[in-house]
Amino acid sequence: MSSTPTQPDLVHLTIDGVAVEVPKGTLIVEAAKTVKQEIPVYCYHPKLGPAGLCRVCLVEVEGMPKLQIGCNTPVSDGMVVHTQNAKVDTGRSMILELLLVNHPLDCPICDKGGECDLQDYAMAYGRGSSDVADAKTSKPKGVDLGPTIVLDEERCVVCQRCVRFDDIIAQENQLVLKDRGARDIIATATGEPYRHNFTGNVTEICPVGALTSKTYRFKSRPWDLQRTQTSCTQCAVGCQQMVDVRSGTPLRTMSVESDDAISDGWLCDRGRYNIGFYASPERITQPLYRKDGEFHQIGWDDAFSLWAKAIKSSIAANGAASVGAIGGGRLTNEEAFFLQYLFRALGVENLDWRAGTQRQAGPGASGGTYAELERADAIVIAGESPAERAPVMDLRIRKAVARNGATLIRIAPAEGTPNVACIDVATVAQAIEAMPSGAKRVALVWDGVDLQLGAELAKAASGWAGLRTYVTGEQANARGAETMGMLPREGAMDTLAMFAAAREGRLDVLSLFGVNPVLHASDAAPTRAALERIPFLVVSDLFMTETAAMATLVLPAKGAFEKGGTTTNLTGDVLPVNQSLQAPESALSDFEMLIGLAQHFDEVALPTSEELDERVIGLCAKPPVADGFGAGRYASAAPSRPAPRPSDGLAVVVHSAVFAGGGTSAHDERIASLRPLPHASLGAQDAALYGLQSGDRIDLECDGVLLRDMVVAVRPGMRPGIVALTGGLPGRAANSLSAGARARVVNVRKAAAPVGV
Amino acid sequence: MPVTKVLTAGIGEVDLRDFTVYRDRGGYKQWERAVRELQPAQVLELADRSGLRGRGGAGFPTGKKWSFLPNDNKPRYLVCNCDEAEPGTFKDHMLLEQTPHLVLEGILLGAYGIASHHAFIYIRGEFKRGFEIFSKALDEARAAGLLGKNIFGTGYDLEVTVHRGAGAYICGEETGLLNSLEGKRGEPRLKPPFPAIAGLYGMPTVVNNVETLAYLVPILEKGAEWFAAVGTERSKGYKIISISGHVRKPGNYEVALGTTVRELIEIAGGLREGRTLKAVQPGGGSSACIFDEHLDWPYDYESMAKAGSMLGSGAFVVFDDTTDFVKCAFNLVRFFAHESCGQCTPCREGGHWLETVLHRFVEGRGLRSDLEMIRRVSSTITGLNLCALGDSIEPFLKSVINRFPEQFEARIDARSLQQNGSPAMAASAR
Ligand SMILES: Cc1cc2nc3c(=O)[nH]c(=O)nc-3n(C[C@H](O)[C@H](O)[C@H](O)COP(=O)(O)O)c2cc1C
Ligand code: SF4
Ligand code: SF4
Ligand code: SF4
Ligand code: FES
Repeated sequence: MSSTPTQPDLVHLTIDGVAVEVPKGTLIVEAAKTVKQEIPVYCYHPKLGPAGLCRVCLVEVEGMPKLQIGCNTPVSDGMVVHTQNAKVDTGRSMILELLLVNHPLDCPICDKGGECDLQDYAMAYGRGSSDVADAKTSKPKGVDLGPTIVLDEERCVVCQRCVRFDDIIAQENQLVLKDRGARDIIATATGEPYRHNFTGNVTEICPVGALTSKTYRFKSRPWDLQRTQTSCTQCAVGCQQMVDVRSGTPLRTMSVESDDAISDGWLCDRGRYNIGFYASPERITQPLYRKDGEFHQIGWDDAFSLWAKAIKSSIAANGAASVGAIGGGRLTNEEAFFLQYLFRALGVENLDWRAGTQRQAGPGASGGTYAELERADAIVIAGESPAERAPVMDLRIRKAVARNGATLIRIAPAEGTPNVACIDVATVAQAIEAMPSGAKRVALVWDGVDLQLGAELAKAASGWAGLRTYVTGEQANARGAETMGMLPREGAMDTLAMFAAAREGRLDVLSLFGVNPVLHASDAAPTRAALERIPFLVVSDLFMTETAAMATLVLPAKGAFEKGGTTTNLTGDVLPVNQSLQAPESALSDFEMLIGLAQHFDEVALPTSEELDERVIGLCAKPPVADGFGAGRYASAAPSRPAPRPSDGLAVVVHSAVFAGGGTSAHDERIASLRPLPHASLGAQDAALYGLQSGDRIDLECDGVLLRDMVVAVRPGMRPGIVALTGGLPGRAANSLSAGARARVVNVRKAAAPVGV
Repeated sequence: MPVTKVLTAGIGEVDLRDFTVYRDRGGYKQWERAVRELQPAQVLELADRSGLRGRGGAGFPTGKKWSFLPNDNKPRYLVCNCDEAEPGTFKDHMLLEQTPHLVLEGILLGAYGIASHHAFIYIRGEFKRGFEIFSKALDEARAAGLLGKNIFGTGYDLEVTVHRGAGAYICGEETGLLNSLEGKRGEPRLKPPFPAIAGLYGMPTVVNNVETLAYLVPILEKGAEWFAAVGTERSKGYKIISISGHVRKPGNYEVALGTTVRELIEIAGGLREGRTLKAVQPGGGSSACIFDEHLDWPYDYESMAKAGSMLGSGAFVVFDDTTDFVKCAFNLVRFFAHESCGQCTPCREGGHWLETVLHRFVEGRGLRSDLEMIRRVSSTITGLNLCALGDSIEPFLKSVINRFPEQFEARIDARSLQQNGSPAMAASAR
């Protein structure tokens, strides 16, 4: 033994004859990893902790008569552990023999085949023969557990990882173990479909093929897949994910292992499952040019020259102020940079990435990390729920509240979550000030929409030490686009000003990159009116969106899996976007389109790719914008809280939902079932007033627009006088409402019994 | 005959369910004395010195169990285990139905002994009558100021909550019980942590059997020495034995520990005319059988352990020479497989597998290779389980297979004896 004094929090023990030193409290199963000895586990999972159910992790600890489970036995000084000897082998092989007694062994048709812990451990520790002389029990197979997952009860080894994931991590508590003994089955507690934003994770932690994704069932074998790691770009969290492609089709995505600083090892169902659109037959395959009211397919050369000609003649006739471009939040950093670079080189300064409701992205100098969010003492959520806008980040919030004891405070001008009273900024400030001074790590999570609220918060929070802010962008690369300069400088027009100018006939050419303001802008009717009046509207997108349908020129774009670059998530991490897929032949990345356009402008000096990378890296490294919250940079009249109008009825607020499916997810039949119902949420007081209960169907009349068949959701925490409608659902009239609309309930169809919605 | 009446005193003679009858016989005197005159630590000390061991099955020394509670200023709970579902055990619900106030007084004393202000009693779902009787007794005691706030003006508060189970043997296992009491699935918890550290609602908790707690009343009344004076070296005091099976007068008999096995059989009226003894299962469904050679052994914790079995909950089942041990073994294994919560692999799969195979034996369709499999599987799973239920599958089965192998061999399908093929082939050749 060495002469260095032993640290009190380190424990010395011997595992398989090797002396090891690990922190006190370490479980044998973890300690064994230090000697590169893998102890088999089914129920244990580092994120879920020990459960002691499967009993496969048996080890021998000298001095203890019975075999011990490595997953729940902490190390102690002087302990002598054997992870491999005859006694251990007998125990483990018994467990495997038992697990196989009723296991269907339908490996040939099981999706898990080739990456199954039952196959692997049976090979490593099993007996290889069986004494079973009786028929296996039969249990339900192919159980439709919910919109995403199919369950095979016969393959289940009852490790309860799925149940514990739902309890500990997602905290949705839908999955339970029902019945008992050998008859036990996994099911939802209520019998209703298993459905929330994180269900797909259970297919990954299930050690066997009991839980499989509907989108991947019977599609492939793991060895036929080509795997690429990339960053999910479906929201601003930036989860790392593996894309598995077979013969040019992305078949599934998987999370990266365990402790990823961003995703924490999880994915949300949108990030996981919304990949079918890449192979959709509805993708635009050819540039389209509108002539005499009809789209005609044209070649790229023609597209570029028409586009360049329109810009040139507009600048010549009405000056560069008559031209604008919007986009960047769905592009890579490199693309966003080049977008503003090219247009600014042409003298065009009307540039903005903000096409939806979000008015602000980068949270400024005080932005925090996800690890800090998890350790916050208080979390203030302002505006829309991060569960819908930044799902995997919301798991950190759930962890902070349920496991680390953080206080959750919600400020919601509109919708409240059940059981959370919506309060105003002053009350929040009081609550924060009342916290003991030692416990004042405050995390402020804001949707970046209501600038008036942002300004109030900025004022209130200015004195909070240890403040960390998180703006849940509605576009994945909102922060990157902002950093890359896709914001108007002094004197130029932002998105809303551009739309106003358009309505007045002052905007001639507008180029949109990966944005769909008709669906996502907070004020749909005036947005539509603006776009209708633009003589030359260019839209780059994968699909014929509501906005693309109004364009003069539609350009088929590549999706994120089809190109490379970087993206910046909401905490400011610059993350790689790696190409895993070949794009359809005629699609170009926005970058390639901009290059094509640039060819028509001899006066523009194009940077070399090295120069470009250097500039992008330089901007990324720049300290984030310093004026943070509610800043004066957003000069134009931002839509704010609807001023209450004196007439009767309810003030309408339209809120987003991650699965609304307005974007790419509208083009995948398989996940269409994830789409939320068109909900009309109201507080308990209003529900009583109108005699409504959850599950009732109502029609609403809003400023002359009839919204049919909305499903009532009574949310006890919501303020009176407000009805919150699910926005972003394709083809729903709610998308076309104007700010400040008021709603009257015109028809009610009662549900038979109140329904949990 | 050495039958005593301590807890059972008055049962069958007077109506102890009547609050006044119970009080007039000195009922609740010990409770009043404890609260007024004794510190909780003194009650604990009495329990400890009396040598009282848990009557629920494991026989753990009661005072010692209480002393494990940490002094951490958290709320602490006493839970009275009245789930009584161990095959052959029928003493707790007898106490509950016949002398509910004694049960309550025991609970009050136990709660006081650990300085708890909230006690619970978990009553097996099937004991509807006992539940009603006990609830009435509790209401009466509460109305008389024996529990609630500021008891006897001493400032001590104690509430008692009654909870009915929903019909699962596993909810008698103390952590399964705690989960069930909390409204969760009745499945045992992984230990550590033990209930003394993190039990009901995560708080320090003691779980004690009905009978264990009831003995606190006479121990307070007559003293620890009085209790410790009877019994054997490490098995002190009295115990109610539920005697059943092939005896003429099955029933509950209260005796001093150390009474011999033979005496117990005689107390229960002895065997039927012309029958001979084959085996006794001395400690409930979870225990191994003992045989002729143990007839004169004292019935106490240490002797039963030495005989390869256990005293358990004091369920004493007698088997004479008419017994079909194959059926008995099947019946018990089926019980455990049925009652397994299904959480852990050895118990869930092993129990089910053994049940299936034994069922074939009952039908005369055993295979030669099965006997080896039964021995191997039942012994290997023992000790690998999360709770003691899984470890209860083997003892009876093993003891009767070893003792009466001919009964099992007689159920082997003759065809399988000739066959060289796989057991699966033989099984399908039925
Ligand atoms: C499967 C199983 C069932 C049990 N059922 C009961 C029961 O019904 N009543 C009981 O008092 N103890 C039962 N026990 C024992 C309890 O776990 C616990 O040890 C006992 O209640 C402690 O009380 P005591 O120390 O007073 O005996 C059971 C144990 C197991 C493993
Ligand atoms: S479904 Fe999978 S994760 Fe869930 S208990 Fe069964 S084996 Fe475990
Ligand atoms: S939280 Fe966002 S980044 Fe993470 S998987 Fe979901 S959509 Fe993708
Ligand atoms: S041993 Fe049996 S009853 Fe006990 S936890 Fe395991 S499965 Fe459940
Ligand atoms: S991994 Fe240890 S019991 Fe399952």
